[in-house]
Parts: sequence; C-alpha cells; structure tokens
Amino acid sequence: MKQQNESSLIRSMANFIVNNPKKLVFFSILMMLILFTALPQLYKDTRSDAFLAADNPALLYREKVKAQFGLSDPIVIAVINKSENGVFNPQSLQLVSQLTEQVSALKNINSDRVISLATENNITGSEDGMEVELFFEVPPLTQFQADNVWKKVSDFPLYMGNMVAKDKQATLIVAELVDENQVEETYQQILQLIAVIKKQKKTENQDEIHVAGEGAISGYLGSYIDADAQRLNPLAGIIITLIILFAFRRVSPGILSNVIIAASVLMTLSIMALNGVAFFVITNALPVILIGISVADSIHIYSHYFELHAKDPHADKKGLIVKTLVEMWRPITLTTLTTMAGFIGLYFAAYMPPFKYFGLYTAIGVAIAWLYSLVFLPAAMTIIKPSASKHMIALSKNKKLDAFSKIMVLLGGVTIKKSRWVIAAFVLVILTGLFAASHLRVNQDRIETFHHSEPLYQADKAINSHFNGTNNIDIVIETTKSEGLFNPDYLKKMQALQDYALTINNVNGATSIVDYIKQMNRVLNGGAKEAYALPQDRDLLAQYFLIYSASSDPTDFEEEIDYDYRIANMRLTLNKGSFVDINEVVEQLQTYIQNNFNNENIKASLSGRVTVNYHWIKDLGESHFVGMLISMLLVWTVSALLFRSMLAGLFAIIPVASSILFVYSAMVFLNIDLGIGTSMFASVAIGLGVDFSIHTIDRLQSLYKQHHGDMIAALQKLYPSTGRALFFNYIAIACGFGVLISSKVVPLNNFGTIVVISVTTSFFASMSLLPALINVFKPQFITGVARKKTHSSGRKTIFASVLMLLIVTSALLLNQKANAQDLPNALEVVEKINLIDDGDFVSRNLTMRLTDKRGKTRVRETMAYRKYYGDEKRTIIFYKKPSNIKGTSFLTFDYPDVNKDDDQWLYLPALRKVRRISASDRGDYFLGTDFTYEDIKLEGRLELKDYNFKTLKLDEVDSIETILIRATAKNDAIVKELGYGHTELWVDTKQWIIIKAIYWDPKGELLKTLHVSDIKTVDGIITRHKFNIDNHQTGHHTEFVFSNVDYKTAVKDSLFTKRAMKLGK
Amino acid sequence: MKKYFFLSVLLAGLLMYMQVSEAEFSAVLKQEWAIDDRANGQKFEVLFEPEWNLSLSDNLDMTIIGRVRWDGMDKLGSLTDNTKNFSSINHALLSGSDGDVSIREWYVDTEAFGAFWRIGKQQVVWGQADGLKVLDVVNPQSFREFILGDFANSRIPLWMLNVELPIKEAGSLQLLWIPDSSYNELAQANTSYELSSSLLVPQLADGQILTAFNRRKPSSIFSDSDFGLRYSTFYSGWDLTFNYMYHYLDSPVLYQNVIEQGLIIDSEYERSHLIGASASNAFGDFTLRTEVGYSTDTFNLSTDLNQSGITKSADLSSVIGLDWQGLDDTLISIQWFYSHLFDYDNHVIRSQDNHILSFLYKQTFQNETWELEVLELHGLDKDDGSIQVSVNYMLTSNVKAWIGTDVFYGNKTGLFGQFKNTDRITVGFEWGL
Repeated sequence: MKQQNESSLIRSMANFIVNNPKKLVFFSILMMLILFTALPQLYKDTRSDAFLAADNPALLYREKVKAQFGLSDPIVIAVINKSENGVFNPQSLQLVSQLTEQVSALKNINSDRVISLATENNITGSEDGMEVELFFEVPPLTQFQADNVWKKVSDFPLYMGNMVAKDKQATLIVAELVDENQVEETYQQILQLIAVIKKQKKTENQDEIHVAGEGAISGYLGSYIDADAQRLNPLAGIIITLIILFAFRRVSPGILSNVIIAASVLMTLSIMALNGVAFFVITNALPVILIGISVADSIHIYSHYFELHAKDPHADKKGLIVKTLVEMWRPITLTTLTTMAGFIGLYFAAYMPPFKYFGLYTAIGVAIAWLYSLVFLPAAMTIIKPSASKHMIALSKNKKLDAFSKIMVLLGGVTIKKSRWVIAAFVLVILTGLFAASHLRVNQDRIETFHHSEPLYQADKAINSHFNGTNNIDIVIETTKSEGLFNPDYLKKMQALQDYALTINNVNGATSIVDYIKQMNRVLNGGAKEAYALPQDRDLLAQYFLIYSASSDPTDFEEEIDYDYRIANMRLTLNKGSFVDINEVVEQLQTYIQNNFNNENIKASLSGRVTVNYHWIKDLGESHFVGMLISMLLVWTVSALLFRSMLAGLFAIIPVASSILFVYSAMVFLNIDLGIGTSMFASVAIGLGVDFSIHTIDRLQSLYKQHHGDMIAALQKLYPSTGRALFFNYIAIACGFGVLISSKVVPLNNFGTIVVISVTTSFFASMSLLPALINVFKPQFITGVARKKTHSSGRKTIFASVLMLLIVTSALLLNQKANAQDLPNALEVVEKINLIDDGDFVSRNLTMRLTDKRGKTRVRETMAYRKYYGDEKRTIIFYKKPSNIKGTSFLTFDYPDVNKDDDQWLYLPALRKVRRISASDRGDYFLGTDFTYEDIKLEGRLELKDYNFKTLKLDEVDSIETILIRATAKNDAIVKELGYGHTELWVDTKQWIIIKAIYWDPKGELLKTLHVSDIKTVDGIITRHKFNIDNHQTGHHTEFVFSNVDYKTAVKDSLFTKRAMKLGK
Repeated sequence: MKKYFFLSVLLAGLLMYMQVSEAEFSAVLKQEWAIDDRANGQKFEVLFEPEWNLSLSDNLDMTIIGRVRWDGMDKLGSLTDNTKNFSSINHALLSGSDGDVSIREWYVDTEAFGAFWRIGKQQVVWGQADGLKVLDVVNPQSFREFILGDFANSRIPLWMLNVELPIKEAGSLQLLWIPDSSYNELAQANTSYELSSSLLVPQLADGQILTAFNRRKPSSIFSDSDFGLRYSTFYSGWDLTFNYMYHYLDSPVLYQNVIEQGLIIDSEYERSHLIGASASNAFGDFTLRTEVGYSTDTFNLSTDLNQSGITKSADLSSVIGLDWQGLDDTLISIQWFYSHLFDYDNHVIRSQDNHILSFLYKQTFQNETWELEVLELHGLDKDDGSIQVSVNYMLTSNVKAWIGTDVFYGNKTGLFGQFKNTDRITVGFEWGL
C-alpha cells in the first residue's frame, strides 16, 4: 500500500511535469540565466600557493620572508651562447645590457631589482679601501674587454653558477616583479620584447634566449590552462553529443543533453563565483567531469523512454514519459547520491583548498544535473514529443537486438557461464593492484605541468643545466639582538650551515651575506685568495659594511640582511624542483638546523618556494589514500542504506575497488607518479564507477522479481536493456574524460588517462564481476527481494532519510566560502567596519608628508576638526605650516543624502576670500596627496552602494589576524567616479579596522597600497594614527600622522563657518 | 619722530609679551625679479613679511603682519614720493627711495556681546569675483604694478572696526566702520605702470600745459569715515550676501579747468552709496559666482570741459563667473564683467556699457608640485587685454619658485592696451619660514 503511495506520489509529480511543461522549461532556463549573471565574478587563481590554505604556517612564513627581504618569484631570462667564449663576447654582453635595460623599463618590473651582469657590482680593493663598481658601465666593444669582464666575474665566487654559468656559456637576467598578480602580462611583454630583439639580431650571433623562473611559470600557467580548457570543453561536448546522436539516432536528445550539461557546468561555476571560490588549475577538470556525468542521466531516461516507445509506438507519449520517470527516477537518484558521496569524500579528505572545492562543487554539479534530468528533461520531452527511431521500433517489433545490445549479451553470456573464472580474474587484478599500491611514488614538479615541447619547459631545463638552478630554499637566520649578525661566531655557524647545505644532493648553490663579507675581507686584504674568509673581529665586520655603504648603494644587501643586521637570509639554489628531489634536501636541512644550529640566541627557519612546495606535497600520498577510503566508506554507507543491506553496499563497491587497484597497477606500469592531477582520480573513479554497480544491482533486483526467482533469466535480461544503456553511459563518460588525454596540461592528461582506465574497469567489473558474484553467491539483497516485498516500505523510509541527509549536507556545504574555515560574510564584515565609533566630534593635528619618487619630501601641518550634526558631517582643516600656505583652510559639509553634493569652501589667505568650490569628484586626489576625497571622507569606512564585497581568506598582516576582502566596483560608472576598479582590504578581525588596502585602477593596473599603523584607543575610541599610502604608478608616497587626537573637548559649531576659515582657527 | 618712538616702544613691549604668551611666528621671504620686453630690469624686489599670531587671552587674539620691501631697481616708484593717498595713520614706518618698512596688518580678534570683533588695520574682501571689482570696494589698492601684483600685497589694509554678528545658524551681519581715509595708490609719473589711458587720465590738447594739480583728500576721522553693512547667509546651497557701503570712491575724480595758460586739475575724492548682492553655488563640477552692485555716483571723464571734464552717473555693475573643475587637478574659470552708466552723453569717454571677459586656466601636476596658471583679461570695448602666464614649482615644503610672463595687447587707449609696451618676464622664489 505504501509502495503504491510512493509510486503514486512520483506519478503525480511526473504528471505535474508533463502537464506543465512550458512553465517548468521556462523556470529552468530562467534559473540558469539568473545564476549565470554571477559568472563574470569568477576569478582565476593558478598560483601554486593556492594549493595551501591561506593560513598555512609555511605559506605565511614565506610571505613574511618575502616581505622582509623584498623577495618575489622572479622571471629569469637566460642568454646562452655555446661558442668558444661563451656569452663573454661583445655581442652577447651587449645583448645582456640591452635586455636588462628593456626589461627594467617594463611597468611591472621592479627596476631596482633587476640583476644581471649589467647591473651587478664587483667588489675590489683600492687604495682607499674598497671599490664597488659595475662589472661594466658600457658593454664591451672588443673581445679583450669582454675577456676582462669574465676575468672579474670568475674571480667573484658568489656569482659563479648563480648569475654566470661556470662554463662561460650562459648568464642570467633575474627580474623581480612589482605586482605578482600581473605576472602573466609581464611574461608576455618579455616574450614580445625578446621576439623583437631576435628579429633584429637574427644573423649576428649564436645567442639563445630563454625565459623561465617561478615568475614565468606562474605567468604562463594561467594562459596555458585557459587555452587548454577552451579547446577541451567544447571538444568533450561535441564528442558526447555525437555519441548520443549515434545511440538514439535523434537530434533532440543531443540538444537537451547539452542544455543539461550547460546547466550543470555553468550553474556550478556560478555558485563558485557567488561563494568567492577561485577557479584553480585543477578546476579545469570540473567541466569535463560534469559533462560526462550529467549526460549519463539523460542517456538513461532517453534510453528507457525510447525502449518503451519502440515497444508501443502508438502509446500516448505523455504517458510514456510518466512511465519512464516512475521507473527511472530511482536508479538515477541512487547513482546521483552515490556519485555525490564519492565527491564529498574528496571534500572531507583533502587538505588543499583546490581539491576540497573540486570535490564539493562537482558534487553540487551532479545534484544540478540530477534535478534538470528529472524536471527539465521530461518537461522538454513533453513539448518535443520525440519518437524512437524506426530502427529501434523495428528491432523491438521483431524482438531483435542492435549491435550494442548484442555485444552486451555476449558479455553477459560469458559472465553467466564462466562466473567463477571471471571472479578469479578479478581477484588477480585486485591482488596485483594491492601490490602496486605499495610501489606508487608520490611526486610533483610544477614545470612538468607543461608539455615538453613548450619553450618554457625547455628554457627551464636549459637554465637548470647551466646554472645552480631556478628552485630556491630560503633559510632565514634570526638573532635576538640588533647587529647580532656582527658576531663572528654566528657568521661561522652560518658558514657551516652553508657548507653543509652544499653537500646535500641537488643543492648547487648557496648565497648569503657570508659570501659578501668574505669577498670584502679578501679585497681589503690585497685580493689574496686565502683571504676569502670570515674576519674574526666584530668591529671589523661593522666597518666593512660602513665602507661598503660609502662606496655603493647600502641597499645592495637588502636581499641578504635586514637593516639592523639582526636577520639574514641564506638562499640555496637547486636545479631540480620535483618532490622526490627536494624532500630529502628539506628534511636533511631541518635535521641539521635542529641538531646543530638552533640555540637560544640564533635560530634558522626554512622558507622559499621549494620549502612551501615540500609542505604541500609531502602529505599528498596520505591525503590520497585517506580520501579514497572516506569516499569508499561514504559510497558503501549510502549504497548499504539504499539497498538496506550492508552486503549490497559491499557488492556495489567491489567493482570500483577493483578498478582503483587496477589503476594503481597501470600507474606503476606506465610510470605515472601520484601527483596533483592523479591523486584525485580515486574519488572521481569511485563516484562515477559506482553508478554502474547501482544500476546493475537495482535492475537485477527488479528483474529477479519479475522472473520469479530465476537468477539466470534475470541476468540474461539485464544485458540487452540496462547493459546497453550502461554501455552508452560508459562510452559517454570515457569519451568525456578521454578528451583530457589530449590536454597539454600534463597533470590533466595523466588524470584523464587514469580515469578512463578506471571507468572502463568499473564498467566491465559491474557488467561481469558483479553479476558473476551475484550469480555465484546469490546474495539475499537480490534473492530476498522477491520474498520480502513488504520490506520496501522500510526501505523507502531509509531512502528518504538518506536523501534528506545528503540534501542537508549539500546545503550546508553549498554555503562553504572560500576558506575551509568559516569566514564571515563580507557584508557582515563591512557592516562591522562601518559601525566602528569615531566619536561625535574630534579635534586633531594632522601632519601630511608627501614624498615624490625621487625622495623629495614636502610636509604640511594642519589642525583638523570634525563634527556630526545628525547624519551630516562637517569637517574643517586649517593649514598651520609651512608659512606659504599657512592660513589656508578647507571646509566641507558632507550630507547623508548621496544624491546631494557636498558643499565645500576654500579660504586662500592670499586672496583673503572664502571661495566656494565645486564638490570634488570622489576620485579626485585630496590636496595633492595620494588619498582621494572619497578616502578622506569615508575615514576608513566602506560605501555599500559602490562595491560588491567578497571575503577571500584569512590572512596575517604585521602579525595581526585579518580577513581579506575584495571590493569590486558595481559598475563602470562607479569605477570611473572612484578611480578604483577593485580594492583588496585587510580587516583586523579584532577591531574591525582596515589596516591594509591595495587599490587597482580602472584598467586593472596596480595603483596604490595603504598601510595603517599606530592604532591606539583614545578616549575609548579606536583611533588610527598613521597612514602610509604608496602610489605605484607615480612613485609618490603620502604619510598622514594624526596626533593630539581629542574626542572629549567639545568642538564649537562656530568652527565650521566661513568666519572661522578667515580667522584660521 | 615721536610717532616712531611710540611705535618702537609698543613693538618692543609686544615682542616682550610674545616671549611669555602663546605666540606663533611665521614669515615669508619673497624675491622677484622682472625684466621688461626691452630686456631692462624692472624690479628686483625682496619682500619680507613676518607674521605674529598672539593669543593674549582665551578670548583675545592679536595678529601683526609686517612688511619690509626693498627693490634694487627702483623703476616702479617708492612710497616716499607717493604717500598722498594714505591717511595720516596709514603711513609706512620707514620709507626710502628703494624700500619701505610697514605694518601691513595689526588687529585684535575678540568675541563680545554675541558678536565677533576684529579691530585694527586689516583687509576685508567682499564679493565673489576674481580680479574684477564690483563689491570689493572696502580696501583700496596699490596700482604700482597696475593689476599685476598679487592681491594680498597690492590691497591696502585699513584701520577699521569690523563686527560680525551671527544671525541664526547660517547668517551673519557684518558692520564696518572705516575711519582710515586712505585710497588707491596710483603708479607715479615716469614709472612703468603710470596711467595714460584717456579713460582714466585727462589728456592735454596739443600745446596745452598742466599749470596746476590741486589735490584734496578727506581727512576727518569721523565725518570722512566709510560705513559698510553686509548680510551673508547660506540658503539651499547658495552662499548669498547683501551689501551696502557708504564710502569714498578710491580713485580721485580729476576735475579739469581750462585757463588761458593751460589746464588746472583738481583731484578730489567723492562719495557714493553702493548697494549690491552676491550669490554663489556649486552644481556638479561647476561653480557659479555672481555679484551685482549699484553705485549711486560714479565720475567718468568726459570731453565736456564746461562740466569740468567729468560726467556723474549712477552705475550698475555685475560679474558672472563660472568655474569648472571637471578634470583632475584643473580649474577653468570664465567671468563676464558688465558695467552700465545710467546718465550718459556723447562726451563721456568710456562707452555706456563696458564689458570685460576673463579666462583662467589653472592646473597642478605631480601632486601639486607644479602649477601652471594662465589668466587672460579682455576688454571688449577697446579690444585690449592682458595675458598672465606663470609656472610655479614647489622645491620643498616651504620653498616655491616660479617663472611667469605678463603681456598686454590691444588699443593704446584701453585700460590694458595702455601698457602694451610694458610686457615683462618674472622669475621669483618664496621661502616660508
């Protein structure tokens, strides 16, 4: 009775769908379109740092080190010349000089941080003590001069292997970036620049120019992946459409499947965008996977519908659609739930944000595909009223099978007859897989992301073969006191650490302040080679730095040592970046530092790109296996609950488990490492592979019932119908993933390969091993069905419970923001910022210090008052110094109504006249500073009407916990008005004050950076005392320092008058 | 001598007081060099302007602004030879042929009886127009450099009582009593900016000689005082003022009497009532500034010597100005000045309706480090005008340098055209201490 009730519920829902098709199609499309509007907000994050949570200690420490020593991931340009004199010939050195100059001139290159033979200093002895001069002022004109440069360089051990190849054949230009977010554009500019140079000089010399380095890798990866995705996604769509056309010989299934694909893929990406989740490198696999999965449901529905129609061509099509839904909703829902379980397993198991989101959002995409397959598809079918092809009708009429059914029947025949052999074969596969699993190698190398034919890949290899390497470990050495590093014992310790590091495999170079000190010691001791050693006198060391600073730019050492000689950085260079090559290095260094270096006065910590990579890859293997087990467990639980049998759950996952183990064997055999791309295959394979088992078990249960307990008959019936549908399902998924095999992004390529292997194995295991097991063991979850019909009601309850559980879990997960931790909603953060009390009135001194790019400074001292009149705010600023502008005052009435312009007056003492001035445009710069009028007016608040806010992550600024928020201007008009395209704001999570902000101009170019400091509570009100803002485009800097802040002494109304302006107070 | 002694003692006392009271001192040293279009040096002027701001008590502040001027070229005339326009209480402390020392401003500020009082030697500026005067008649002006000197320095501060009475939240009523009968300082004869236009100076006929120049100047502190009244308010975004002034016109009226031997000129100062109003408001990037003034009596040169060469008439003058700040760091401002004489006959030398247009372009660069300013004034009646261009550069917080040029063009008989041969280039710097 209850079963009847359930079936009648589904039937009435199905009837509702077929009776209101247009409305449902309309609402489905409308829902899609509404969500699509969020798509433009999706942003890419292809940084390797994105693989670590933003609050990962290794990452945070590296950021700190980067900031401390001004390090960034550089773009490295190599000039290689294999002739006798190598690059030390006039033409090559001229080329180095030219490249250095042109690269330095690029906007996003920090011209102070371009290192090459043309920029670096040689340290030599002179009569006065020490001479620091460029290796060459102008590029050599003769071979003799070029030889002389080589002589000088080769006599400076520090540069050998780092900037110049020991075999003379190569030299580097290392360029650091101003804004790493714009690296892609800069990389392309450098390539263009080199193309032009090559064109000009093509016949002159044998110089090769290569561009590599972490900066270049990051720069190119984004566009590389984009190009790949743009090629792959349509290809997957086309292939799948062709398969459907081929399977059903009808156009409408192709079109409707594509709508479902579009809904599933694009709506998922839109939800990601709405939640502020970035599009990571691995997210490229998501659309392809969803294409494969979402089409599977349509295939099953269409297949069943056509089958029914072929049997009864004159039946009412609406009725057929209702019947199809009633019969198919269950297996489709079951497979959706198990697939989701597989991906949610990945979400729970993964520790890297991109993987977590991959698992989560694929699960969401699967749910969307399910919804559209059960609502939109039948509604659209009701409108189109498709008919089975004549071919199918004819086959059905004659009770004949098509070629695909015949193949499946053949497979079924073998399975039924040779069940035990089939089981034995799979046992072998499982055992081999278990053995292979223990031989899997965890490895990852970012450069291996690129196809070997890529110039960047070749450049990396060329550079690493000539130099110490492009991969860095930074060892940060901290002493407890200022000038602590002048202690000769500490320097000796550093020297020992450096020497030790160089004994470790793959460490080819080490640079630290020790090398410079040794070189200085040498030149100040007549240049003798034996004097290339550390001096033993603390005072002498201090003098060396003094002499150096007198001879050259004292900032030359800022990459090696901080300004008060307390912290130093030692940079190790490795010519290999893969995990198997670096993990030994990092672990040996950690052991040495722990046992032989660290004490209470000095300590060393590892940082740098290699260290960060080590941290995120070292747990990859563990994460993979844990993830797989969780997925397996989830799928088993869901299957067991659905079939109300633990054994059924086990049976459902056996084909999947065997497919995974088979993949391990294949990986070992094909020499594929467990890396970024490959590690997530298991969860995907489980989620997809289990569908075949579920369909098989579910269908067998009903067939067994239909055939009154005749197992063989039930099995025989399984293959031509369900088997055929599963075959197309498999083909669609295999082709979808197969497309990834043509990907030029190597990890995606590997991923595609092994998923195809895995799905193929799952399909065959579900169609052979699983029926064979059922045939041999005749489990109760099949055989018991026929006898215990009444159990179905209990099953429905459990089914409903599982469905609810998953819906609730999905809903909870859907709200997951860009960080694994619960980040507050951006709007809530903004509201908290805006709620900060700033007093009803305040008086304060404000000193403005304006510094131009040449360091020229102007100072203005003012007295400023502010008072609220309800929501109206009045401010007046009186200039006190210098005398030239003394007496100038500036009065503003700022009205709460945004449509009402502010009223502003300026009093110029020279004119003795209060002049009415037009309300400044919000984006105008305030009185020659780098703040805009809007910045000044808002006083650290944010205007909700101007921006869309999005929480990005937790971050730390100056050891303060912050939330990073991105504010994107709502429309072009606001962008134009404010002069900011978007802004990133670091908000102190304790005081809800913005302590750092980065502004980008309307073109997306980096514009300004603001740092707020000296935040103190005055009269119970949190008050920011110091603002530093750098305009990166003009090089101008403004510092605002507030002092004598007073919220208690009443501010007279008469101050906000024109008379007060004339009075000057 | 007694006066100097008295002032010296007063100053010494004040300086001593400053040591013990809350005093702020600042000063500006300004050096400007001008050469004319014949490459002759016109001025080499050093200006030193110290300023003391003293807080004598909670409710009593005093400001003293002094000025020491020294001009190495001496082509623009000295105060010693040109003191006749000043009242007896407004003289320089010291003056010589190439420089002078004076107290530019000296006033106290206090609040009493619900009003703000500023008493002493000071400048009061009325009106909204730049460079064109309709309501700005309170202080006279020095035309030693015609209109080229900056306003703060060329305006002549007067001893006066200035009371401002707040009325409601946004309004105030200003009362002025000016017993100081000092008037415009005109350029001396044979200096670069000596007036020659027939609009301003009677012209001698061929062979005619000036036999006498009789100067009469009001001097009574009470009966010759000027009185002013201004009500200002802020209403619906508009800054509004309504002004009234009963005053002596700051330029003398030159009555001509022809006698056989030649021409006698009697220079006298005449009174007038001025009633006017000003209004300004901002609309987006635009600021509108307007002022209008009706003078009951103006005295214009005429050729009718039977009427002593002067025609008296009421005058209505107005200025409409529009500023535009739509571009970053840029101000573009245009003004239209219009004056109409109600009693007019063909003998009057100026036209009945007089029009002057002004155009100002000001732009700053590199965070206000550089400033370019172009100001053109153009008289429509005589088709003459002046163009002033300057580039300022802030060397440091308190050092500014500039280079500029002042060019006159047009009809020699015009207000501007009369100086068409007096173009100049200026270079200068200013150091704020």
